[in-house]
Amino acid sequence: MGKSVKLIVALAIISLLSGGVLASVYSFTSPKMEEVALQNQQNSIFEVLPGIESYREFKNDENMIIFEGLDSRGDIAGLAYVAEGAGFQGKIRLMVGLDLDSKKINGYKVLEHQETPGLGARIDEEAFKQQFSEKSLTDSFKLKEDVTAVTGATISSKAITDLMKKSVDEVIKIYGGGK
Amino acid sequence: MRAWKELIKGLWSENPVFRMLMGMCPTLAVTNAAVNGLAMGLATAFVLICSNIIVSLVKRLIPEEIRIPGYIIIIATFVTIADLILAAYFPDIQKVLGLFIPLIVVNCIILGRAEGFASKNNVLYSALDAIGMGIGFTWALTLLGIIREILGMGSIFGIPVMGAGFTEWVIFVLPPGAFITLGILLWIINSISKNKTVEGDCCH
Repeated sequence: MGKSVKLIVALAIISLLSGGVLASVYSFTSPKMEEVALQNQQNSIFEVLPGIESYREFKNDENMIIFEGLDSRGDIAGLAYVAEGAGFQGKIRLMVGLDLDSKKINGYKVLEHQETPGLGARIDEEAFKQQFSEKSLTDSFKLKEDVTAVTGATISSKAITDLMKKSVDEVIKIYGGGK
Repeated sequence: MRAWKELIKGLWSENPVFRMLMGMCPTLAVTNAAVNGLAMGLATAFVLICSNIIVSLVKRLIPEEIRIPGYIIIIATFVTIADLILAAYFPDIQKVLGLFIPLIVVNCIILGRAEGFASKNNVLYSALDAIGMGIGFTWALTLLGIIREILGMGSIFGIPVMGAGFTEWVIFVLPPGAFITLGILLWIINSISKNKTVEGDCCH
């Protein structure tokens, strides 16, 4: 009895110390991490909407994160939105840019993913991404017909094409009434 | 003299990958490109050095029966610290490494060195052992990554080296390629060092 109490106390102390150390490291690094995330989001908006001067958030009831990109005259030049869906191993989050005038996709940038390094993670490489730029908003995004899959990563590639198809329709539905 | 021995043994004679066959999960799983092997090796080396030092310092404070969960908590703490610091200050590196970092907790080299070495030796030797093992693990993973990337993608660290006419052997970036490459490397390395093991300066 006395022995097991001693073990429990020892393990509890180790866990508490570990928790304390992690909490202090976390509180020290979290403001910096938020800053990085915000900076990332900002950069990705400008990246998927080339030529815009500024952007503003488009509020909507569907809880979708949509931004309107504004050109130098303050006109809306394009839409950027965050698309979220399931990948091979975890969540995939993309920032997608749409050109409203030509009704085409500018491209996407991966904000977050947990795909296999060297295989599924290549959804973040130019060779795969550039297949989506200049695609019409009404494209079917069929894998292996319209879009060539990443070698050895059919599921990750399909996750992107499905996510694009679904989210483009959704955004048009939400935003269609807003303009 | 002993310090030097503890440092260099991990590089070749007790190389964790090629001689001890430890840490096979990351060795096989993430070495499909040179940069992935290098990144995984360096991240593991960092955790290995920190955990070996701490385990060696607290070895007398942790009761025998719970040393394994205790070591795992120490290792997981360092893995999380590394992840947080990278995310905050080196977001670009974290983007490449982020996927591997949780894997480090379950890397048996780290627990193996904590249990097999750091819990029986002083801080200096434990640190040197970890540095040697970390470098040994890193070069082994980088070598595997280089070979698989050349054959599977025609490049080294993302730089094309095989010319335009090269047909990529895709199997080498897929899981079977890991087994094939590691098997052939083990064969080569075992035949290089075979004479030594047979004549052997055993019993030290």
